[in-house]
Amino acid sequence: MLALRGSILYKRSNMPLSYAQLERFYERLVTKARDGGIPCAITSGMACVAFGVAQTTKDCDLLCAPAAASKLLDLLSRTSLMGRLPAYRGDLSAPLDERWFRGGWTSHFVWNAAGIDAYLDVFGVAPRGSSPWQTELEGFYACRHTVAEMKRTNRERDWPYVTALGAQMIEAGDARGWLHIFDEDLLVALTQAARPPASLINQRPVLGLAVKGDLRLRSALHAEVQLWHELDRARIRVYLGAARPYASAVSKARLAPGAALEVQHRTRLQCAQEHLPSNPLEDYGVGRLINDARTALKRLVNPAALAWLPDVRDHFKLTQA
Amino acid sequence: MKTARNRAKAQGWPPSVRQRMRQAIYSFHVRAFGEELARVNFLPRAKRRQYVGEMVDHALRKGVKFEKPALGVTL
Repeated sequence: MLALRGSILYKRSNMPLSYAQLERFYERLVTKARDGGIPCAITSGMACVAFGVAQTTKDCDLLCAPAAASKLLDLLSRTSLMGRLPAYRGDLSAPLDERWFRGGWTSHFVWNAAGIDAYLDVFGVAPRGSSPWQTELEGFYACRHTVAEMKRTNRERDWPYVTALGAQMIEAGDARGWLHIFDEDLLVALTQAARPPASLINQRPVLGLAVKGDLRLRSALHAEVQLWHELDRARIRVYLGAARPYASAVSKARLAPGAALEVQHRTRLQCAQEHLPSNPLEDYGVGRLINDARTALKRLVNPAALAWLPDVRDHFKLTQA
Repeated sequence: MKTARNRAKAQGWPPSVRQRMRQAIYSFHVRAFGEELARVNFLPRAKRRQYVGEMVDHALRKGVKFEKPALGVTL
């Protein structure tokens, strides 16, 4: 069983579960899932900690193959933490079902264990992932390349993690790391020490500016980061807009507190079938989303810097598959 | 980072280049995360995880909330 029933008494407060225990709980969950034929991997904050970029987090983000969604739900419904079984969290949480998973939705779960709430967010498609995350794993975790792509969010605080992971990749001989360096000083220093492959300079034009020592690098890097910000804002806007009727239906369903996960799931599934489009990004159009982001960008950055932006379409193709 | 060094070696970078890259990366960590976390980031994995664990546990005891909103979409 995955259940962890131990309790640690800290100096002045009774904290039932430490971060280390929580981390082991999630790692055992991944082991159990993989043993049961469920491809999955921990990503985001916990992966960053494991990779050597310290981040204060205690929530677990888990990538799971969409085809294995129902098997994961079954596993979760049997997985207790300090004697407590998990529940869906929030009205907006999508059902853990292959159809919505393929469309980029996230399912949120919580174990309300005594003294600590353990949160698990599960999704099938890595946002902005340019290649299937299942093809490359690092132990319990998604690979650095996937984690770095996922971290290109509209939150400023995520960007140093992207660059740190990219630097580790370059140092380890993985040239894709050049795609993740967004710190100007570091990019200049690294290009003075080694040259990125030509194919990557084509893929990411700012690398060419760095190699040439071009003074336009700073504004081009700024524009690139702002483009990812705007893309993320537009993506979230599309999903939140599509989720409103569903959230309202889930809220009205008024499940009894403590209802079994299977019961919660059936209710959400029924609400989703009636109110939640399975793939709102595809409905909206990836081309339109990118145009929205670029239009917003024109108001924010030096127009000349737009010439150095990368082609981002590959980062949305998996949601369209 | 033994593996990283070996792969870099396999790429044919001379030691002086590897050293410059490593120094530039460490300086970035200091700028981006501060001296203390930069030091932690370069600790061996077990020590790093222990440090982060103690940091998170301490924050939780002090009432810090870590959870993100459940929006149905990954942030």
